[in-house]
Amino acid sequence: MSPTTTSKSNGRYDAIVIGGGHNGLVAAAYLARAGKKVVVLERRPLVGGAAVTEEIVPGFKFSVFSYVVSLLRPEIIRDLDLPAHGLQILPLESTVTPLDNGDYLAGWADADETRREIGRHSPRDAEAASQFGRLMHHMAMAVKPILGMVPPDPASLAPSDLRGLMKLGGHFRSLGAERFHALYKLMTMSSADYLDEWYEFDPLKATKSASGIIGTFLGPRSPGSAYVLLHHYMGEIDGAFRAWGFQKGGTGAISESISRAAQSFGAEVRTDAAVERVLVRDGRATGVALANGDELSAPIVVSGLDPRRTFIDLVESKELPADLVSSIANFRFRGSSGKVNLALDALPNFSFLKDNGGYRSPLMANALRGAVSISPSVEYLERAYDDAKYGEFSRHPYMDIVIPSMIDPGMAPPGKHVMSIFVQYAPYKLNGGWTDEKREAFGDAVIDTLERYAPNIRSVIRHRQVLTPADIERITGLSEGNIFQGELALHQLFFLRPAPAWAKYRTPVKGYWQCGAGTHPGGGIMGASGRLAALEILARGA
Amino acid sequence: MTKTLDAIVIGGGSNGLAAATTLGRAGRRVLVLEAAESIGGVGRPIEFHPGFRAAPLGLDAGWLPPAVARAMGMGIGDLVDTEPAVGVTIASGASDPLALPCNPRDAADRIRHHSAKDAERWPEFVARLRALAGFLEALYELPPPDLDAGLSFGEVAPLLGLGRKFRSLGRDDMTELLRVLPMSVQDLVDEWFEYEPLKAAIAAAGVRDIRQGPRSGGTSFVLLHHLVGAPAGSVNARGWWRDGPDAFSVTAEALARKAGVAIRTGAYVDRIIVRDDAVTGVVLANGDEINAPVVISTVDPARTMLGMIDPVWLDPEFLHAIRQIKMRGCTAFVMYALDAVPEVTGLPDPKAALASMVTLTPTTEALERSYDAAKYGRVSEHPHVEFTIPSLRWPRLAPEGKHVLVARAQYAPYTLADGATWDGPRSSSLTDCVTSVIARAIPRFANQILGCAVMTPVDLERKFGLTEGAVTQGEITLDQILFMRPVAGWGRHAMPVDGLYLGGAGAHPGPGILGGAGWLAAKRALR
Repeated sequence: MSPTTTSKSNGRYDAIVIGGGHNGLVAAAYLARAGKKVVVLERRPLVGGAAVTEEIVPGFKFSVFSYVVSLLRPEIIRDLDLPAHGLQILPLESTVTPLDNGDYLAGWADADETRREIGRHSPRDAEAASQFGRLMHHMAMAVKPILGMVPPDPASLAPSDLRGLMKLGGHFRSLGAERFHALYKLMTMSSADYLDEWYEFDPLKATKSASGIIGTFLGPRSPGSAYVLLHHYMGEIDGAFRAWGFQKGGTGAISESISRAAQSFGAEVRTDAAVERVLVRDGRATGVALANGDELSAPIVVSGLDPRRTFIDLVESKELPADLVSSIANFRFRGSSGKVNLALDALPNFSFLKDNGGYRSPLMANALRGAVSISPSVEYLERAYDDAKYGEFSRHPYMDIVIPSMIDPGMAPPGKHVMSIFVQYAPYKLNGGWTDEKREAFGDAVIDTLERYAPNIRSVIRHRQVLTPADIERITGLSEGNIFQGELALHQLFFLRPAPAWAKYRTPVKGYWQCGAGTHPGGGIMGASGRLAALEILARGA
Repeated sequence: MTKTLDAIVIGGGSNGLAAATTLGRAGRRVLVLEAAESIGGVGRPIEFHPGFRAAPLGLDAGWLPPAVARAMGMGIGDLVDTEPAVGVTIASGASDPLALPCNPRDAADRIRHHSAKDAERWPEFVARLRALAGFLEALYELPPPDLDAGLSFGEVAPLLGLGRKFRSLGRDDMTELLRVLPMSVQDLVDEWFEYEPLKAAIAAAGVRDIRQGPRSGGTSFVLLHHLVGAPAGSVNARGWWRDGPDAFSVTAEALARKAGVAIRTGAYVDRIIVRDDAVTGVVLANGDEINAPVVISTVDPARTMLGMIDPVWLDPEFLHAIRQIKMRGCTAFVMYALDAVPEVTGLPDPKAALASMVTLTPTTEALERSYDAAKYGRVSEHPHVEFTIPSLRWPRLAPEGKHVLVARAQYAPYTLADGATWDGPRSSSLTDCVTSVIARAIPRFANQILGCAVMTPVDLERKFGLTEGAVTQGEITLDQILFMRPVAGWGRHAMPVDGLYLGGAGAHPGPGILGGAGWLAAKRALR
């Protein structure tokens, strides 16, 4: 944990950024880089928001919430020179799905290996995989310019909006009909239906469609999930699509690198500085009041918090138009995922790795350097969703498991390991509410499920940290524990994120801006919201 | 046939008649081929019990776009009953059914018994739905805009009008339309209301004939699609044909004949003949070959493209796309012959209410749960049941003093898991299930039944030729409408064989829009 600057200032700034999550830090860095005098105010003792590394048990470091990265925008890495400040992404080289029959399905970094592996289960799917990969590459390329675009308002006649709409129209025309139609399908279909058009091997469809449900209260058969799948396909490390990676030192080290970059441009970063409210005079933001009673003033205040906190908690509703207040009240958060972090005395003995004492294939020797996906069938995922629909956590959840210490030994003491388990579904609104007992029962369901694939798991667990959506909300401040600051549902994207007419980072309070993942283009440690917001502030002034 | 034909229209339903009449009025010599012994297509009444008739697929009058009526020379004012529809929700066993008359103030008065807040919001809600459905109405009278359609000026001009219409919705409605279309109907009703039976009443139309539950994305669009042409204030049903469920086809047939169209019933088209990439005619099941340079099929796209045409004439990718169309019939119908009108207590105007659409599913969770079974290829054990008693409007459907009750039940998926089939025992157990759902709401119902008949999706496929028993000819999900209907890039009715057009509900603008697809297909063929 690097110490953060706490040098005293005279309390007057050009801009105050509320929340030291990655988007807040990115926004601060861009503003500082343009010469603004900026301060970032973080409630917790460390920056990062949901991208933090914490030593929960001595010697064991956890990427407590967000645990892998791939969506961080390359222009941000470049502009802020993040590698010089400590950004170092180690590739996650595989995803293995254990099958119910003891066999496995693996996806490797090497496309040919993957094709061979899929062919073992379905020669037809192996063939389809290359075509599918190409199409998704094109789709990601098609969406990329939109990620870097301030959403135009289709209801507005302002020249800048019309220009934006023309640009968008031109972009879609340039795709050509075939790709436009494919993109349209991705935007509107369910991930299961979309994948059904391509593949036949069910565990393959399940593993792929799993990325369509992450962070979203949708099942794989519900229309809208295909978009989330694409969202996760847009990952880019060093220009290579669909490469997920792990930050050396945990996700917190990403936040710290951005924080250091911001500070190198002159930004000040204060931790343990909880903002209570935004000060508004005559419809204009003038600064913020901290929980400790201090007041800081600045003509620009930027909130990196989610829309509910930005509009409902930090400012009085009388400062806002009524339709915006009701839009925000209707904005869907409904956290649907939990996290279980384990400190392990030894590696678990995943049964899919070996057969008669030896590895099932030479490649399997490295399988635990990648992810293990508990997604044996589409029906398994759908049933997990059914539990959550009616207010229970999944008895047999979808899990995405990584063991960061396999790639970055520094995360755990020698010979020991840390395991990160992303779990879905765990509804924020659990029947009867989340209690300590329910949390433990949820943790037990996760370990029970894991035990089917790694029989010795209980005996190697030294410590278990279970995080429900309620815990995520309490610790990070993310409303309802939604990891994207609001669901990535079609009706909450682009010019509708977070609310119609207020998707351009601006708010009805002059000088008050939003830069969190609750704005376009959304979550996943992209940093794009923070960057676009800062550029918009710089272009349009307060 | 002595004279040469200009065009053959396959199917004598609303779309077939609209297509034929449009062509006939333009001076073309047209022959309509209808497989059944009478015209009317899927909406025709059938005798299901001696002396008792019903049109299970004609429960909804549908919407006749004014442009189609004009093209056919039909005056619709005399045909449609202006009496407002009433949607009713009856929570099983509850003595307090919720009736929703079209007049928003009257409906709000009824809602107020349960929630003052909901009553307050009702008028604004229905006004909003009307504005949004009104936009779809404008959209449904035009060929779908597409990226590389090579639009002629004649087509661009109305699209510009559409842009104006879009903007004239007003800033709020316009953005709201884009926001609402992909939403789940559950999210939509949650934004507005708190009283569960009210939410369930609205959500019911959002899942009608689609294998999705109210929590699935896009079901708000399904709701709006069903409200196209509906009277202001209705959230459940459109108007009624004054003279009977078949009033439209009876009138349309007369207009078609007046326009010189020849109609042959009992003529089952076996296949469409293609030579050198162009249609030359059709072959009937009896072996007759009839030639024409243009064929408009109103049969569903799967049956047309996969069942009637030699695949050598079609591109494999096109065929693949056709095979991927989500048909997914999941609605079954049970028709009951009744000794008397069932008695429901607590309704202010029982006759009007029971002649409308009554839903027996009191909560959106119950709706969602009935869908869950279908996801796994099973029939709902607690199906979502809606019913209406059409004989209250049209007494001639039943012998004097007797009545007909038609129930639609979801979800009864066409494709069952684990190799199960729709055999006799399964059909009758579904019937029993539906009967018991109705009997829970109407205690004396079971004793009034003189006879009944069930139509599962397999029966619908057999009887009406609908692939997978899909009454929609392809689900109306966002990925299967406009330029995506029937498949991506082929939304403008001309199919990839010269002279072949698709003009049924499987083409834009889809099911429930009377003659819409047939008329657009005919216009395209006339170009």
